Amino acid sequence: MKTFRVTPIAAALASLFFHGAASADEFVLQRVLVEGARINKIGMTDSASSGTANAKDLENRTVYRPGELLEAMPGLIASQHSGEGKANQFYLRGFNLDHGTDLSTSVDGMPVNQRSHAHGQGWTDLNFLIPELVSRLDYRKGPYSSTDGDFASAGKASLAYANRLVAPIASVTLGQDDYARTVLAGSPELAGGNLLYALELLKNDGPWTRPDGYRKVNAVLRYSHGYSNNGWTVTGMHYQGHWNSTDQIPLRGVESGQLGRYDAFDLSDGGEAKRSSISGNWRRTTDESATALNAYVIRNQLDLYSNFTYFLNDPVNGDQFAQPDRRVTTGVDGSHTWHAYKSADGKLMSDLTAGFQLQNDNIFNGLYDTRARQRIATTREDHIVETSGAVYLESATMWSDSLRTVVGARANRYRFDVAGDRLENSGRAYDTLVTPTLSIAWAPFKHTELYLNYGHGFHSNDARGTVATLDPKSLDPVDATPGLVRSRGMELGLRTVAIPKMETTVSLYRLDFASELTYIGDAGNTEAGDPSRRYGVELSNIYRVNKWLALNVDAAYARARSRGGNPDGDRIPGAVEGVAQAGLTVDGFGPWSGALRLRYFGPRPLIEDDSVRSHASTTLNGRIGYRIAKDMRIELEGFNLTNRRDSAIDYYYESRLANEAQGVEDIHFHPIEPRTFRLTFVKNW
Amino acid sequence: MMVRLNLKALLACALLCVSAAAGAHRFHMGITEVAYNARTKSTEIVHTYMAHDVEALMLNMYQRQFDLTDPDDQLVFRKYVEERFALKGADGKRLPLRWVGMTADSQSVTIYQELENAPLSKTVGIRHAILTDFLPDQVNTVNLNEAGKIRSLTFTLNAAEQPTARAIQQQRAQ
Repeated sequence: MKTFRVTPIAAALASLFFHGAASADEFVLQRVLVEGARINKIGMTDSASSGTANAKDLENRTVYRPGELLEAMPGLIASQHSGEGKANQFYLRGFNLDHGTDLSTSVDGMPVNQRSHAHGQGWTDLNFLIPELVSRLDYRKGPYSSTDGDFASAGKASLAYANRLVAPIASVTLGQDDYARTVLAGSPELAGGNLLYALELLKNDGPWTRPDGYRKVNAVLRYSHGYSNNGWTVTGMHYQGHWNSTDQIPLRGVESGQLGRYDAFDLSDGGEAKRSSISGNWRRTTDESATALNAYVIRNQLDLYSNFTYFLNDPVNGDQFAQPDRRVTTGVDGSHTWHAYKSADGKLMSDLTAGFQLQNDNIFNGLYDTRARQRIATTREDHIVETSGAVYLESATMWSDSLRTVVGARANRYRFDVAGDRLENSGRAYDTLVTPTLSIAWAPFKHTELYLNYGHGFHSNDARGTVATLDPKSLDPVDATPGLVRSRGMELGLRTVAIPKMETTVSLYRLDFASELTYIGDAGNTEAGDPSRRYGVELSNIYRVNKWLALNVDAAYARARSRGGNPDGDRIPGAVEGVAQAGLTVDGFGPWSGALRLRYFGPRPLIEDDSVRSHASTTLNGRIGYRIAKDMRIELEGFNLTNRRDSAIDYYYESRLANEAQGVEDIHFHPIEPRTFRLTFVKNW
Repeated sequence: MMVRLNLKALLACALLCVSAAAGAHRFHMGITEVAYNARTKSTEIVHTYMAHDVEALMLNMYQRQFDLTDPDDQLVFRKYVEERFALKGADGKRLPLRWVGMTADSQSVTIYQELENAPLSKTVGIRHAILTDFLPDQVNTVNLNEAGKIRSLTFTLNAAEQPTARAIQQQRAQ
């Protein structure tokens, strides 16, 4: 009968901890901290289109470049139209996001998007990302959270680095096109905490006639103490890279045989980037509340030389231009969550979160005409100080086992201070915007949850546009643009695990923008476009067949229209329509693992009247891993396995080749890389 | 051996779950049974913790999800347990515990360890710091079962190491 003797002890113990109150920490802890710890997301997210990709999901992806990790967010496409060191071009939810407008990305609480950037608003260069350190990617689509600010209307991707690694790692990758990469990382214990270190060296020439010659050095050093919910970290990062660019080329040049598919036009295009940061975060969590504080200083430097139109503007020197950008970004943000109310029976409870975000950017950038990287004229040169502050309040309430709501409000204030080389384009501007959000989650059945989301979001415009009175190129008068542009989104969603081993989400959304504003980085001015409206539907499915095999199918379709009555047509150039992904993942099948992923990037209108459209691009990537020993494995990755000759990206605009009498409107494309293999050897200890 | 151990584990687990469900406030506790098995002549140890607590611990240590039914992930948790739980001999040194295995389901995590060819009396002290610094209100109860006679020790953040001599005899259940 000895087993029974446990009972009174435990029962007595248990009674000590009965407070007769609601299961307090459950709600806060799960929402704020343990979110993502469960595979089944019912009751864990506020919309059907949000979710988490964990370290294993990310490890199983074949990524040609680090920015492609974001494609773990269903419906997102990360592409490249230039040299590898340049920020990727993103597509999501009917947007051509350029280099990151309307897609907010953060790494360890640091914003990646650079506002008022020389080349493109919201510039998102993820080349400093070391995939081995990424512990999770949390994503949200649509402007439904008051915790998200600038650029988050199409979506938000938050990447987190680990504080400690399960084991130190050393890896070497060799691939075609002179690709080589090595990573060394570990997290030894030090003074009661952990010291995470990582060093990455990479070189890649790509398939280009003029090799990219991309070289990068990337390092991370972090000291962490305690746990991520009760502890602190201090992190230093440094990245630098330089490259030659093979920019998009005109289709007519390839068709006439004047240019090869992988040829470049201007052999001196390229750039150099440096990013250094120091950041810290501190978190304290108890059963009753959770507090987080985060601070960072980031220094970014970019030199970028591009030539998209060849000899259109300057038949003698060519159209190459330089867009240097040097900036220091500083920021502090914090939040506090506490129980606002809990009923006696614990069925009804409500948490309140209050937070703030402050950010300052001190920017020196410019636009210059160059020839072979030598400056020949200055279009503009500016010193921008852009400062923003935001406060938000969000209340999450669990009304019953089956009904939850999140209501929030956010107030944003921006200050744009531009000291330009022309007095007419200098000055100060301010803008304020208040945005509400609402999410309702209702689970009529234990395995199915329905969502209704409504919210406003925004993006800021380039500071230079907010004080502009003169086009620096043509010297024509221009109107200043507003600083902040509002978006309004709504969404109906469903998440279900009704079919065993399968999780399905469906969302149907609408997103309106007050004006589709794009900064024409290549021309040096801001264009205030018409309002826009998007409708879309997204489906995502994961089927875990057994312990080692999972299948997934994601598909998205969006209809994007401009609403200003433009006589040319109402299409939005580059706006993505259909996107699909199908994947098969094998993990832990004896010593074998692997993945096969088919990606479909559907056709896009390239001009307003839809008379010119891009073709679809379909790529099949895969990897096979084999574990030689407990702490040693090899992996073969293959990209574009079917060796398709599709475009990574297409544009339609006017350019002029040296031998042409005048400019010609044409499709300009950047090809996807041909079939490429890379072999990796990984050692842990 | 596993059958008998499992029965006990099941009970401890049922207890943890029932208390948690009935309760309201989620208290944090673990139960460790230490018993001598005359048949194998070994001291057997069975720990039971709430799956939710262990999941949260691992997530906040490594910032990623763990699947405690996966052998690789188990290895990481094993390292944590072996660092923080030890039986100590008369000389104050750690006694060599053998890792027998662990099981995990959605409710609880159960760990099996063994001190081979050793009577209970060989254990003079116990160090138990599992979950206590992660969850400050975590209480770990160690039941020392000697031929049906049970004595208990309670370990918390501020009482991580205790001599077995301090163990208190529990009342007999009816």
